[in-house]
Amino acid sequence: MSSEKHVMALFEDDAQAASAIEGLAGYPWKLERVHSPIPSDNILHALKMKKSKVGWSTLAGGIIGFFSGIGLAIYTATEWNLIMSGKPVVALIPFLIVGFEFTILFAVFGNVVGLLLQTNLPEFKSLQNYDEKCSGEHFGLLASCAEGEETRLMAYLQEKGGEARLI
Amino acid sequence: MIRLFSAFALVGLGTFLFQIAGQHPEKAWQAYLVNFLLWSAVAQGGFLFSVVLHITKARWGKPLQSVAESFAAFFPLSFLLFLFLFLGKEHVFPWLNGDVHGRADWLNLPFLFGRDAAGLALLYGLGLAYLYNASRLKRSNPEASAGDTSLPQTRSVPDLKQLELYQKRTNVFAVLYIMAFAFVLTLVAFDLVMSMQPLWVSTLFGAYVFVKAFYIGLAALIILANLIYISRGSASGLTPSQFHDAGKLFFAFGLLWADFFYCQLLVIWYGNITEETSYIIQRTMISPWNTLAWTVFILSFVIPFLILLNKSVKTKPRFMIGLCSLVFVGIWLEHYLLLSPALNPNAHSIPISIADVLITLGFLALMAITLRFALARFPELIPVKQREVK
Repeated sequence: MSSEKHVMALFEDDAQAASAIEGLAGYPWKLERVHSPIPSDNILHALKMKKSKVGWSTLAGGIIGFFSGIGLAIYTATEWNLIMSGKPVVALIPFLIVGFEFTILFAVFGNVVGLLLQTNLPEFKSLQNYDEKCSGEHFGLLASCAEGEETRLMAYLQEKGGEARLI
Repeated sequence: MIRLFSAFALVGLGTFLFQIAGQHPEKAWQAYLVNFLLWSAVAQGGFLFSVVLHITKARWGKPLQSVAESFAAFFPLSFLLFLFLFLGKEHVFPWLNGDVHGRADWLNLPFLFGRDAAGLALLYGLGLAYLYNASRLKRSNPEASAGDTSLPQTRSVPDLKQLELYQKRTNVFAVLYIMAFAFVLTLVAFDLVMSMQPLWVSTLFGAYVFVKAFYIGLAALIILANLIYISRGSASGLTPSQFHDAGKLFFAFGLLWADFFYCQLLVIWYGNITEETSYIIQRTMISPWNTLAWTVFILSFVIPFLILLNKSVKTKPRFMIGLCSLVFVGIWLEHYLLLSPALNPNAHSIPISIADVLITLGFLALMAITLRFALARFPELIPVKQREVK
């Protein structure tokens, strides 16, 4: 059984990194991870990632929030009988405002929770094979290959403009 | 296509004249008023898109901006339609021979028609002045029209002084148009809609109406741009991302329109003053109008709100044409709901007839013919794909 070898390549330009990512698909090597100091449309496009599902948790949060807000307003009004100027105790027209505010609040909560769940955050163990330059001005691409293939992989990444090293 | 629309226009005119000569001329004038308000708002609001993009120096929607400018072709017609409304004064102003509760200084016919005609003339004048200078600016600025072969260049070397002058004038007229848009649409809303029940007042009603005009203007713009996109494809220079952004704007103004409705409702609900609540109760709680009110709410707000939450539908041309048409129907009914209970106080069923539909088709045809005329006469309004600058 052959063990895997990891190669990290650092690119100064996100277009080069994106081109390397796209080219990797034609080889038997595996793309492990990409590090980017900034959000890059080029890299996102090259990774061909599935559409994020965070929007669904935002929507769910918003819907829960709307009914929670209305529910809270009804509960407080009925619990303490807040009768004002002859209006009904449960008055939906003004309660819509509470519902609206809670929609926004819970949609934000839903968004944050969805984001954390989707990205498996927080991660307490430190990231392996990480180069600090990827928090500065470089785009990092971590790829793995079978033993004996690493020279070809490194040559490929260097050809794409990256500064490759074996880890 | 132009023959079909001409036939629609003639059928609309024929129905209108037939009804005027018949036993119920008031029904014809009511349909006329509803359609005048709706289609004028479409032109004013659709054109506003170009002005807003100019003022905010937005570059994302340049092709949509030129499509929006074609709505100015309806301005002269809208003005004439307003003047023609004078002939139906007996039928469209229920307060004319009644008690106006001490508001005779404001609610009298010569002053009303005088101020509204002056307001519309000002609004349309500013719009056309903006359009003239904006098109001059485009023609004499080689950067703005780079690669656009349809645009005749007035000179090969731009005269910088002249350019600066056009730029300055376009900026000034754009700002003035926006201010006049808010002011004149408020005035027209107060005079032609709110005055139907002179005792009912709502200070936010003007803002509600001009936000609605932009909402429906955006719907018309999305329909027109999508029709151009369907017939010309990517050669039109229109891209899915532009339709996505226009769709978001449409969604946002739909929300704002509904919000302005709610703001008025909340204040009236809390205040609980008979003169104010009766207007709402008659339209939203009492049969037959309550059914119409819910239809308007569902067509113009609930359906577009739920559908436009989705991102990809905004870039589907045929789907968006259908959705915007649905909103159009909803807003037409909303105009009808605001006016009709005052003009038909004893109605037991909603008095919409086939004649209303035919007159509406006539107005739709008028709008289509003027747009067609504008796009044929000024081909630079049809967007073309720009050559990539290397």
